Amino acid sequence: MDQELLVRQIMQEVLKNMQGAQAAPAGDTVTAADYPLGESMPEKIKSASGKTLDELTLDKVISGELTAADFRITKETLELQAQVADSVGRKTFGMNLRRAGELIPVPDARLLEIYNALRPYRSTKAELYAIGDELINQYGATVTGNFVKEAADVYEKRGRLKKA
Amino acid sequence: MRSKRFEVLDQRPVNQDGYVKEWPEVGLIAMNSPFDPEPSIKIVDGKVVEMDGKKREDFDMLDVFIADYAINLEDAEEAMATDSLQIARMLCDINVTRDEVLKYTLAITPAKLVDVVGNLSVLEAMMGITKMRARKQPANQCHVTNVKDNMVQIAADAAEAAVRGFAEMETTVGIVRYAPFNALAIMVGANVGRPGILTQCAVEEATELDLGMRGYTAYAETVSVYGTEDVFMDGDDTPWSKAFLASCYASRGVKMRFTSGTGSEVQMGMAEGKSMLYLEARCLGVTRGAGVQGTQNGSVSCVGVPAAVPGGIRAIACENLIAGMLDLENASSNDQTFTHSDLRRVARSMPQFIPGTDYICSGYSATPNYDNMFAGSNWDAEDYEDWCTIQRDLRVDAGLQPASEEEVVAARSKAAKAIQAIFAELGLPEITDAEVEAATYANGSKDMPDRNVVEDLKAAEDMLARGVTGVDFVKALYKGGFEDVANSIFQIQKAKVVGDYLHTASMLDSDFHVISAVNSCNDYHGPMTGYQISPERWEKMSNIRKAVDPATL
Repeated sequence: MDQELLVRQIMQEVLKNMQGAQAAPAGDTVTAADYPLGESMPEKIKSASGKTLDELTLDKVISGELTAADFRITKETLELQAQVADSVGRKTFGMNLRRAGELIPVPDARLLEIYNALRPYRSTKAELYAIGDELINQYGATVTGNFVKEAADVYEKRGRLKKA
Repeated sequence: MRSKRFEVLDQRPVNQDGYVKEWPEVGLIAMNSPFDPEPSIKIVDGKVVEMDGKKREDFDMLDVFIADYAINLEDAEEAMATDSLQIARMLCDINVTRDEVLKYTLAITPAKLVDVVGNLSVLEAMMGITKMRARKQPANQCHVTNVKDNMVQIAADAAEAAVRGFAEMETTVGIVRYAPFNALAIMVGANVGRPGILTQCAVEEATELDLGMRGYTAYAETVSVYGTEDVFMDGDDTPWSKAFLASCYASRGVKMRFTSGTGSEVQMGMAEGKSMLYLEARCLGVTRGAGVQGTQNGSVSCVGVPAAVPGGIRAIACENLIAGMLDLENASSNDQTFTHSDLRRVARSMPQFIPGTDYICSGYSATPNYDNMFAGSNWDAEDYEDWCTIQRDLRVDAGLQPASEEEVVAARSKAAKAIQAIFAELGLPEITDAEVEAATYANGSKDMPDRNVVEDLKAAEDMLARGVTGVDFVKALYKGGFEDVANSIFQIQKAKVVGDYLHTASMLDSDFHVISAVNSCNDYHGPMTGYQISPERWEKMSNIRKAVDPATL
């Protein structure tokens, strides 16, 4: 069982790195000089449904060709924006954008549930760890998953977990 | 026998306000408290083991979060060893650039931040804000609400506010279930008045996120953080839950900022004997640590607390300054009624009005005071021409501009008709021509006919249940004959795919071009640098309605 989990984690890391490589080839980072990215590199910005920025037109909305799902940001775009943030010394903002990138595949309703679970006295340590594992294993959200586990550890120390 | 002078003074508005003497032991002190901790930091193997006199094992939740996320540790030892007075002098020295100051201020602890600004006069704090504000160009934000939650009036008031110059607008609700309609109305109305205005709807955290995900709002602001662990718990959140929430917004391409302010902790009786400003510095540490681009601060809804103690309005200027010192966007409050005195309410706003902040009010009430559902703002629609005249008197661009009756009536009429059309297209309860006309010429909700609230609320719930999104708003506006407004709402949905506007202190111009602290960072370093009023802008600001052309005399 543990080994299966391990293999799954490795697979996810490999896939993630492959996806990351597609988004930003090594050495090809963007900076504030490229900003706004929507104007300087519209061809590199795609929506979550794979449409390029040029394909997102008012006419296509009216004709019904585009739906709300075509207006979702991608992990790759958030990574580029995080690089812009890094280039102007806003590292913590960049980290937030990278955590956000990890959360893109998590459904809206589940995000709201996880947020509520992170509120004080809502969850046991095991429940928060399970959410952390879910984020890591199911969505490849390694940084955010560990962030949730870290919260569980702090809540435990400070007596802010759900009374079992 | 009573002095006649004192009888008159007793009747003055300023003496209808409440004041209290300092009580530092319980935190009833604005800043410079003898009980604030001594600044300190100790770093071992890249980890903070002591901060502001507290050992790591004694850290509360906020200390852990700030120590682990909020401080640039590589510069921390040098910055913490630098005399606070020296850093204070850098803040108002035109020969030291914003970037040079940030090297120090991003690497110091909350206690050090307040120790630094504790050296400043209010004028020096304003000089600091002039330099440390993130965006080069100041702007302004307004509230658009009314006691009836009348969406036609919201649309019309938002359109007028856009014509008057606000770059960002916020609504909220009287009845929570009206939120979808209010969010829709402010978005449509604002973009009738001026394309590219960003709008939000302040409601409970999870609901607010839901509205953002559906494309009903363009940003969020009502995400509160607090300066002590107990108050954080009372607010039903932690630094981790709030940081997670921040990432949720960005994952849907929605801009957001946190909210905090002096006075909230002592008002709840949980200030741990620390000054209001020290606790606010902790809030801002949590904000920066969470990686949020900006803050709405400046006491906000707790302004009555610092305003009651000596130096409280100076402390508010200092908390706005600390936001800039942490490289955060600052929407600087000025948004809550706190005094009976017109003199005091103007004086309270000058430390933000004169230097300019990213959003000077957050916000200015775009309605009469009685319609402001945030419990009344420090400025309202009836002050529009006072604000513009003060701008003209002082030659200060505080984000607004004069508008003629014709322009305003035309914008209100178009917005009311646009919301009428979108309601018809989406199968929502009818908006009558009589309501459109009333909203066009209204001053406030007393001038509006009543709606069938039960029917409205049922329809609003049904609209959410049907899964109507921002994309459906675009289609409905287009089909209703408002192609230009449809395009604006479309462009705002598109901005969420690109994410350029997620960055610090962003706003969109009327061509949907992003202006932020990335491509338009504040570069003030003395006279004739930084933001300058262009001749065209000055012409617009100067021509108030009542100015007479000497040639006509």
